[in-house]
Amino acid sequence: MTGDIWVILPLICLIGGAFAVYLVARFVTGRNDCLAAFTAAIFAAALGTLALLRFMTPGTEHLPTWGRFGPGEAFLRAEPGALVIAGVALGLGLLVALYSGHYLTLDRRYETYYPLLLLLATGLVGMVLAADLFNLYLFCELMSISAYVLVGFRRRTQTAIEASFKYLMMGSVGTVIFLLGISFIYRETGQLVLPPPSSPPLGGREGGMGAPGPWTRAGIACIVTGLGVKSAIVPLHTWLPDAHGRAPSSVSAMLSGVIVQSALYTLLKVSLGLGLPAHSLGTLLIVLSLFNMTVGNGMALVQTHTKRLLAYSTVAQVGYLMLTMGIGLRYGLVGAIQAGFFLIIVQALMKGLAFLSKGVSHFYLDATTINQLHGTAARLPLVAVCFTVALGGLAAIPPLAGFTGKWFVVTNGLRSSDALGLVGLIVLLLNSLLGLGYYLPLIGALFAPPPIRHARRFRISPWMVVPLIVMGALVIAVGLYPGPWLDWTSEASVYLLELGK
Amino acid sequence: MNTETIWLLTTLGAPLAMALILVLLRGRAVRAAGWLAGAAALFSLVSAFALLPALQRGDAPTFAMDWVPAANIRLELRADWLAFPFLLTEASVTLLAVVYAWGYHHLDERSPVFYALLMLFAVGMAGTTLANSMFLFYVFWELMLVASCALIAAWGEGSQRRAVALKYFIFTHLGSLMVLVGLLVLYDAAGSDSFSALQSGLELTPTLVTTVTVLFIIGFCVKMAIFPVHLWLPDAHAVAPMPVTIMLAAAMLGMGTYGVLRFPLSIFSMEQMAPFAVPMMVAGIVSEIYGALMALAERDVKRIVAYSSVSQMGYILFGLGTLTYEGIAGATLHVVFHAIVKALLFMGIGLIIHATGRRRITELGGLRGAMPLTAFCTIVGALAIAGVPPLCIFDSEWMIFAGGFRTPQLGLAILSLFGSLLTVAYALWFVGRVFFGPRPPELTVERPHWAMVAPTVLLTILALVEGLVPAPVFAWVNQALAMILGGNW
Repeated sequence: MTGDIWVILPLICLIGGAFAVYLVARFVTGRNDCLAAFTAAIFAAALGTLALLRFMTPGTEHLPTWGRFGPGEAFLRAEPGALVIAGVALGLGLLVALYSGHYLTLDRRYETYYPLLLLLATGLVGMVLAADLFNLYLFCELMSISAYVLVGFRRRTQTAIEASFKYLMMGSVGTVIFLLGISFIYRETGQLVLPPPSSPPLGGREGGMGAPGPWTRAGIACIVTGLGVKSAIVPLHTWLPDAHGRAPSSVSAMLSGVIVQSALYTLLKVSLGLGLPAHSLGTLLIVLSLFNMTVGNGMALVQTHTKRLLAYSTVAQVGYLMLTMGIGLRYGLVGAIQAGFFLIIVQALMKGLAFLSKGVSHFYLDATTINQLHGTAARLPLVAVCFTVALGGLAAIPPLAGFTGKWFVVTNGLRSSDALGLVGLIVLLLNSLLGLGYYLPLIGALFAPPPIRHARRFRISPWMVVPLIVMGALVIAVGLYPGPWLDWTSEASVYLLELGK
Repeated sequence: MNTETIWLLTTLGAPLAMALILVLLRGRAVRAAGWLAGAAALFSLVSAFALLPALQRGDAPTFAMDWVPAANIRLELRADWLAFPFLLTEASVTLLAVVYAWGYHHLDERSPVFYALLMLFAVGMAGTTLANSMFLFYVFWELMLVASCALIAAWGEGSQRRAVALKYFIFTHLGSLMVLVGLLVLYDAAGSDSFSALQSGLELTPTLVTTVTVLFIIGFCVKMAIFPVHLWLPDAHAVAPMPVTIMLAAAMLGMGTYGVLRFPLSIFSMEQMAPFAVPMMVAGIVSEIYGALMALAERDVKRIVAYSSVSQMGYILFGLGTLTYEGIAGATLHVVFHAIVKALLFMGIGLIIHATGRRRITELGGLRGAMPLTAFCTIVGALAIAGVPPLCIFDSEWMIFAGGFRTPQLGLAILSLFGSLLTVAYALWFVGRVFFGPRPPELTVERPHWAMVAPTVLLTILALVEGLVPAPVFAWVNQALAMILGGNW
């Protein structure tokens, strides 16, 4: 087991941190705020090691890898795309951990919550970094199982248990199909390592030497289906509204903000690495994205529960992401893929902020439905403003980050050379109009007069204020000044496109 | 950075900075908010005027910097002759609306936010006229919508205000999306989002030219509230608080005209635009007649004047559709003059509503004795909108009709001329019902606030003066047209 030690450091940090937090909770202090601060410090340390990895090993010619070096046996490979997603996930995790420092005061069992949060992040980071199918599967399972438990964390609530169970059932079927696909591929090729861009893909190249055989084709289909469940591709999305709508808001922020998007990225990476032609994968994604956008927005229009509404809007947002990635792969447009990575960053910020704001209003006002949010502006002004920024961003109102993201998607998408891409863009524009139908009433509800006269104004705990303000400022800043964020994603997009060549 | 660039930045920056200051001060600046906003609006207007010498020298004050180099997005502001009349209209209307709000708006702890949103609304409009790159143009274009929508949703009158705000947002956003698609196609063709790249010629296929023009015209017509995409206007105008209504009707509707002038008309040649002439003229006439008929049928005084905007925008679209020098010049001039008259009419109505507490025309009457000054001003406004010489709208209507008679479609020109009879009908009918006839016995009248009367009187004088001496404004508009039409007329 050798290689660039930097690659494994973030994972060691997170896993070790998970155990350390558990031990501290059991034997030193069970106080929520201490544990939250400790967890946040671990996230910060992991982010630091990730930054080290980025700066110690520059350049894409020799991707830093870690593992056993037999004939192509890598364990982890620090691809640029994986670094972007891991960075976003750890940043969001840090803020969520801080937020939980007050959000969870009414719950107990902190000794399981924080380790699970860290394991969730471990699974995610491992999944995007993994360079062979077996480890990828393991990390994916680690991420999913932590997510199942976290969704059902409030085990006294029946709906949460139901949602968790449904998520568990659908998620397990997804991973089983994924595993089946891996075994098909192993049967035919005898290996599991996803090759780096310059070498031929694992399953062979269509029409070239060693074209993919029937087992590999079946395997790719299984893997796309299995990961499709995780990334909530319609019609495999039905678990999402329940899981994201019933989980504690801090968990929903992670699930909606990065988990789904990272599963989609993994789907792209794996299927391209196995030799699925970029053109076919792009076509598939564009066609499916039409359903994701329309179903997500259409269903969100009829929701009365705020979190369920936000969950359906995640389905739609994933659709936007699929569309731009699909256009990029189908027509070989680097810009569109870059817009996709930019959307991943932006969605993490906006979705995270929306769920966290919702969580604060639930914590202080016990607001679950949209009608119960009336008067939030009078009682929790900061939350109303942050929630509005998040929703405005999701509705793509300039100059917020969501608008800038969609601008990049559409400007790059216009270069698509035939009608399918343009149809996708038209559906996207119509959908953003549809989205206004639920985002604006939600904003309206926040600023409506409170149901009772002379409602008390609450002081929000600083544990919650800091993440809200940081994310709200970022949504505005990324929208106004997207340059550096766009630069951050340029390597990743070139890499992903190279994989498909 | 020279002096002109600084004036250019302060035109936008003064209201923007004031909006931020007011939001930060919030409860601490309840009394001062109106004055502060007024000062910022005045400063913005003075800055706009300060751009005039540079323009007359033949310069165009410009501010440019790279924003997102990776995506070729630039931050460019530029004041040219085409933008100037619109900028000036917008800045003046904002100042007058803010002054009017001193009397109209009831002060409470949310007042600073009210004035801050008025300022943002003004920034949106000023930015739309000054933006010289597409991304920035769209950002300001939507800011205009977001700020006005928030004002309607939070300070609107009546229980329906949130539903009305939603309808207004979604309707206008539909138009914005069409504009956005047009912009993106141009961006794709030009390779840069700067407008300067558009002026240097574009290579677009005829189908694409048609598509883009249709998208732009429909998109901007939503903002202009042309029949049948006018549906947002009567509700939004009727529900919005009066200062917001004044800014919506007098300044924001003009932005649609600016868009048509800036995009399809200045980018494409007259030959490329020719197929759209008749549809635009027909849509203009339909809107003109429909708006006037609806104004006759309405019973709510504010909605009557709101429908008159639909009708007046019909004139403007007709003028643009003639594609002649007279028609386009008349349409541009009409934007400025309509702003004066429409602001005057809404201010007059605001005075009446404020003094009597009533809005239904059947419950009003005989007010000429009780409110002589208001009656005089409103009657001047009504006569002006009816196109009576020597008030200002007469001049611009004259030019629009003259443009109509220069086209081969004489039938349409005659139709639009006769359509204007209906305008006279609703204007006179309205004045007669409100100010003449018997006064309902229980109708009491309160003394109006000076801050509401002063801008009304000022606009009355302006309506008269502009009608008699249209030359300065006309000279500016002329310069703008020289830009679009290339001086071939």
